[in-house]
Amino acid sequence: MRHLWLRGRCGLASRQPTTEPAERAAALPVACQTQTMEDGPLLRVNGLTKRYPGVTAVDDLTLELPRGRIGLVGANGAGKSTMFRLLLGLAHPTEGRIEVCGVDVEHDPISVRARLGYMPEHDCLPLDQTAADVVSTFGELSGLPARAARQRASDILDLVGLDEARFRPIGGFSTGMRQRTKLAQALVGDPELVLLDEPTAGLDPTGREEMLELVSRLGSFGISVLMATHLLDDVQQVCDHVVMIDGGKLVVSGGTQSLLERNGVVTLDVGGRVDALIAGLAARGITALAMDGVVEATVDGDEDMDVLRDVVADLELPLFRLSSRLTSLDEVFVRRAGSPS
Amino acid sequence: MSAIEPPTELRRGAVYDRGYRPYDGPRGMRGAATFALYKASIRRALGLRRAWRQKVAPFVLLAVVTVPAIVNVGIGYVTRDRLGDRFQIVTYRNYVGVSAALLLFVAVVTPDVMCPDRRQHVLPLMFARPLIGVDYVVAKVASVATILFAFSFLPQVVLFVGNMLVSDGALDYFTGHLDILWKVPAAVIVLAVHYAVIGCAISSLTERRIVAGASVIGLFLLTSITSAVIVGDWSVGKGGSAGALINVLALPLYLRDVIFLGHIDIDSPLNGVGWGGLLVLATYLAILLGGAGVLWRRYRWVER
Repeated sequence: MRHLWLRGRCGLASRQPTTEPAERAAALPVACQTQTMEDGPLLRVNGLTKRYPGVTAVDDLTLELPRGRIGLVGANGAGKSTMFRLLLGLAHPTEGRIEVCGVDVEHDPISVRARLGYMPEHDCLPLDQTAADVVSTFGELSGLPARAARQRASDILDLVGLDEARFRPIGGFSTGMRQRTKLAQALVGDPELVLLDEPTAGLDPTGREEMLELVSRLGSFGISVLMATHLLDDVQQVCDHVVMIDGGKLVVSGGTQSLLERNGVVTLDVGGRVDALIAGLAARGITALAMDGVVEATVDGDEDMDVLRDVVADLELPLFRLSSRLTSLDEVFVRRAGSPS
Repeated sequence: MSAIEPPTELRRGAVYDRGYRPYDGPRGMRGAATFALYKASIRRALGLRRAWRQKVAPFVLLAVVTVPAIVNVGIGYVTRDRLGDRFQIVTYRNYVGVSAALLLFVAVVTPDVMCPDRRQHVLPLMFARPLIGVDYVVAKVASVATILFAFSFLPQVVLFVGNMLVSDGALDYFTGHLDILWKVPAAVIVLAVHYAVIGCAISSLTERRIVAGASVIGLFLLTSITSAVIVGDWSVGKGGSAGALINVLALPLYLRDVIFLGHIDIDSPLNGVGWGGLLVLATYLAILLGGAGVLWRRYRWVER
């Protein structure tokens, strides 16, 4: 048995991940391994609804999310925290089901929690203990042997930039250091997916940049990230997939780059025949304006782009230029929030 | 003669990003998480890995509860050749439950183990691990009960070993007191579990340690006074009253008497009450169940 425990002393000394996903799955209990789908989607949500007395927090949400860094975006009260509680198995869905890494949360919440790391938004650390103690204890609570937990706590605190402060009580930490400690405790159990609830809340610009840099690096470590925030700039900076929810309903879900490119304003230069194009587009339900001899049309996804192409072709207009103006995720959210998909 | 220069490679400094390496060792689930929480709670209660001030209360109390045993053994040693009968200031039975010190200990330590988790919002982090509400309650109650057991049992060990060593024949003393070897642990377990469940249940109702501590002491004092009023003018040897069962502080001591004597003590306010032993046991179990119910209710939200 001893050799098994010694395997846990590996620490984090290498510069890059050496363990493949299949090996990581092998380290999980047998009950988990049988349901592991390393190549499958990270999250599969089907008809998920959560009602509390007088309020529907999540309303018929259906999603399938790939592995990677995912931004969960919505205004305050949009249902982000409820989603996290449902993912952790701490709340039961009224209807529908959720699979995390191929495991049904309702059926086996313990196995799901063994694969997740969670960084809450609010203060949640024992202030009279040192960062090393807290992270090490949470490592043990994640199922790691004591010695491995201590080793990993040390290495993870080093990773998040708290190597010199690890033996100081958390009560004396700045907000940025506390956020890093919260991230460290979420990572110490080597999760497949880490849930970050507003990780940049309360940070100054420098601290925010450093936290986003850390979050951005998690993807390269083979850890998927689901980051809930209402700061769309943060998502745009680090996430490669975005899920927008509003009032518990899905607004839009897609690749960050794809949403930015396919949603927004497209400029068409048709050689001065602006009025004909605007009328043609209006007839097909697309808003367009004349601007300095070109047409700026507001499009919403691939279908609208197809309509643009068809209208130009039907009117037999020359197309000298077609370019899309990159929008921000804020614009995407504001535009799409009124028409849930 | 030119100075010896270090090799070029040694002069170069480099900062390495040590990166991240996934963990591929063994991993436990609920049992491991519960045991980890149990250990962490014991460390917290004893002030281990915390500032020295946190260590003062538990270890001073341990010293206080051990003093009678040391004094008893010391006097026994000094008077071993002068007295015909062995001098005893404390018996094994009476030594189970040094109530004032233990009461203080329960009032100080139990809130410290329970309240900060709720006050500092640590619970969501814990329940994001492979842990459920029942595991949490078991770990917390077991940790407090373990410390109470240790702090009640260690002085008994000092007393037993000391008495054995100062006796005329150590082996004779040992064989003559074999019953002590099961009676003391059994009585101490009864005591430790009782105080741990009550202390944890009360502490779970508030997030402020001072309120929890005061409530624990208040409950013990209030039930003691109420019981005394109900039992009324009672003197040794006369019939007591079932109202003595209300005394939550003394309840495990009545059970201790049953363990040591096989019946309710003649000096007890329960003496003469029909089925006294069974009534004590039933009340004891009812209190444990009540405490467990409070704890289950307070931590069931994590499973909804």
